[in-house]
Amino acid sequence: MRDLCAAAVDAATATGAEYADARVVLKRSQLVATKNGRVDRMTDAESQGIGVRVLVDGAWGFACDRRLTDEGARDAALRACTFARAAAGRHVRTLAPVERHTGRHESKAEQDPFAVPLADKVDLCLRADAALAGPDVIVRQAMVRAQREHKLLLSSEGTEVEQVLTECGAGIDCAASRDGVFQVRSYPSAAIGSSRQSGWEFVDGLRLADEAPRVAEQAAALVRADPCPSGITTVVLDGDQVALQVHESVGHPTELDRVYGTEASYAGTSFLRPGDLGSLRYGSEHMNITADPTTSGGLGSFGFDDEGVPAQRTPVVEAGRLTGFLTSRETAARIGAGGGGSMRADGWNRMPLVRMTNLHIEPGEGTLDELLADVDDGIYMETNRSWSIDDKRLNFQFGTQIAWEIKNGERGRMLRDATYTGITPEFWGSLDAVAGRDSWRLYGLTNCGKGQPGQSAHVSHGAAPARFRNVQVGVKA
Amino acid sequence: MSALDVARAALAAADGDAEAVAHCERSGLARFAGSEIHQPTLIENAVVTLRVVRGNRYGIATTNDVDPKGLEELARRASAAAESTPPDDSFPGLAPAARPPDVDGYDESTAALGPDDQARLAAAAIDAAGDMPVYGFFTSASCELAVASSTGLGVEQRMTDATALVLAAAEGCSGYAEHTAWKANDIDPSAVAREAVDKAVRTKGAGAVEPGVYRAVLEPYAFADLLEYFSHDSLGALGLLEKRSYLSDRIGQQVADEKITIADDPLDPRGLPKAFDFEGTPKQRVVLFERGVARGVVWDRATAARAESEASTTGHAGPVESADWGPLPYSLSVAPGEADSVEELAELVGDGIYITRLHYLGVIDPREGIVTGMTRDGTFRIRDGKIGEPLVNLRFTVSVPDLLREVFGLTRHAALVNSQNFYGERYPYGVLTPALAAARFTITGVGSTPGI
Repeated sequence: MRDLCAAAVDAATATGAEYADARVVLKRSQLVATKNGRVDRMTDAESQGIGVRVLVDGAWGFACDRRLTDEGARDAALRACTFARAAAGRHVRTLAPVERHTGRHESKAEQDPFAVPLADKVDLCLRADAALAGPDVIVRQAMVRAQREHKLLLSSEGTEVEQVLTECGAGIDCAASRDGVFQVRSYPSAAIGSSRQSGWEFVDGLRLADEAPRVAEQAAALVRADPCPSGITTVVLDGDQVALQVHESVGHPTELDRVYGTEASYAGTSFLRPGDLGSLRYGSEHMNITADPTTSGGLGSFGFDDEGVPAQRTPVVEAGRLTGFLTSRETAARIGAGGGGSMRADGWNRMPLVRMTNLHIEPGEGTLDELLADVDDGIYMETNRSWSIDDKRLNFQFGTQIAWEIKNGERGRMLRDATYTGITPEFWGSLDAVAGRDSWRLYGLTNCGKGQPGQSAHVSHGAAPARFRNVQVGVKA
Repeated sequence: MSALDVARAALAAADGDAEAVAHCERSGLARFAGSEIHQPTLIENAVVTLRVVRGNRYGIATTNDVDPKGLEELARRASAAAESTPPDDSFPGLAPAARPPDVDGYDESTAALGPDDQARLAAAAIDAAGDMPVYGFFTSASCELAVASSTGLGVEQRMTDATALVLAAAEGCSGYAEHTAWKANDIDPSAVAREAVDKAVRTKGAGAVEPGVYRAVLEPYAFADLLEYFSHDSLGALGLLEKRSYLSDRIGQQVADEKITIADDPLDPRGLPKAFDFEGTPKQRVVLFERGVARGVVWDRATAARAESEASTTGHAGPVESADWGPLPYSLSVAPGEADSVEELAELVGDGIYITRLHYLGVIDPREGIVTGMTRDGTFRIRDGKIGEPLVNLRFTVSVPDLLREVFGLTRHAALVNSQNFYGERYPYGVLTPALAAARFTITGVGSTPGI
């Protein structure tokens, strides 16, 4: 791997690149999914190649090649330089300085997920799938996944870092239908379960089959439940939904490339301005957000980002005030703060972009029951079902799979089709409590989209249940 | 090696019944922001997916190491997967050999475009925008898809595609335009930029409206996005079988205005033509809505085998990474109407809202086809039959069937709107649709002003 990267970087600098880096990536992904008692998907994918990024006369170029040969590496380097020269304009690009780093990082995995026999994975899914059976349940699904990414980055500045990152995930879903009402329920998170950097021990610990009967019962109850009413009320969100709220309304708007507009044509921009750093009131004093790629088990954890910047913990919002952005070396130099550390690429054939790593809301105090106890009239919502937010990350509307009304501090009747909507700083300004460390969990998302061509990132969010006052709920078509 | 060579080599590495799907991509995307190219990406890749069959069990593995040793390892992993799977009585077997229809969709001059050309065509858009900052890309690609199997199937299609996409935006204003075609010569990046800039200039000084139900004109960009999201749950056979489709229990019923006819038409040369699906089955045109009557959905072999009533594949199996969704209509096509322009549609609306483009859609209730999202880059008030003052970005929450229930008209001209965002392997697809004027579009919130 090292020799191929060196060949690419040498070829790029020999043809005039003032900066070059090369990444060789070997990735293996495995997925087993069952549906209604039969194997629905069983895939085992390997992908490998080299991606070369160059700066020529101030212009970026990126090219890649699946061939892990000297010829492939050099071809990619030369094509990247050609594209950069063709793109040359009025570019002035400065990269924040980074110390030369050499090192190796490997995520912790007690049990190698690829050593677990496929037949055992199928059996685990089928047992969980069977345990989802129940009245009105029409679709039962169980899924387990594993991924290992082995990559080496070498730059013309002397950085050389090798990393092996292993992740696992699992989840169950069921859908119930009755009298034209269709509802879904999942565990531990929606749609594609939850993942973590870990060995197979994470999947075993989820105990999918044990949780399945509760999930099925709730799905069946949902098709009989009343719809969520409309109005302005107090909302308590579970940790899963708080994680998504952090992701969409704090993570993306604090990506500094969005602030500078370079993602405008696809994912969008941000309501934040560079000058907001240190002064903007993002939310209430209960709001503390931290970017932390050193978090054990986080999907966004690494030793070094894809520019070779070492992992570091960075406050983003402190007591409700914006104190940090997620940056690359280029955007950090432009704003004159920080040194990058959030650049990540989706495999060998995509250019690194500013991405979330692990973005956490720090815990407060108390338990979910204590949050509910201080609500006379409100709604408790659990597990994300739908999400939408505008291009500046201001106006959002989210829905959850299940909800309960809160009356006099206690959960009341179950509600379906719960939605809430708001404007980001107003919503976070209405935060009046976050549950404590004992309720704080790590939630892993594997479908964060950005970039053209599109890239999917895997990120984690530590979150606990949280309470928001005066929220619009029950949006109707 | 061609894609068919790769597929046949993978097939040869497998022992017994098997199917290989090979995809080769050579693409370039010159992405620009603030009127300069900042993320130019060149991709060359070849990926093969092998499905090994053991009776009524099968396993799938994928690799982009298409050398003999890589394919040997691929066959080993696919075989291991097949042998770890319990029997599946509903497995319909591999597709038989068939001759796919002759389709357009490949253009030598588009395939020949290289990084210099892609950067030049991006620069043409930037230059045409003048002082208005622009964000977007020019991209072109040449792809090959091939399917070979032990049934004797061996099919291959070469495809080209090109897109110029421009968001023109400054403080307090933004406009959007896009052209997509399989011939790059059919795309004029300068014209795309001018359309976006003209729209952006008109959005300055945007105001708000009260939430409520409005009459609306939707440009093809907006209508295509809504249909695309609606189609995932409602217009594929898996959604129908799992009862999350709006069409569940409604096939044969009048569910939309008589002006609404929607098909999946992979053979139409105005779209991005496709000859066969990812199982190698020849593509068919499938009518989904005919004069407002729900007619059916698209099928692949697996869903057809599980159907309660008689069904057969329509050639709509997707790539393995989209298997969660089952078969999908990758070539949606809406029948045009009689209006000569969007201005004529505005006259039909009289009082309402004009919508250029949507952003970040989310499905709230698949069974009722309810979708939420934001308008952006060109939202205007319609008053007295004229497109009037600009509006801020608006949150909408609409039932797509409800939107289609009362339609005032559609334009004669249909535009091809790119629907892929180039995740994973490149498989060009889009929606061919006219602009639409309808009676009910529900605004549920007010967002920020347009612009950067």
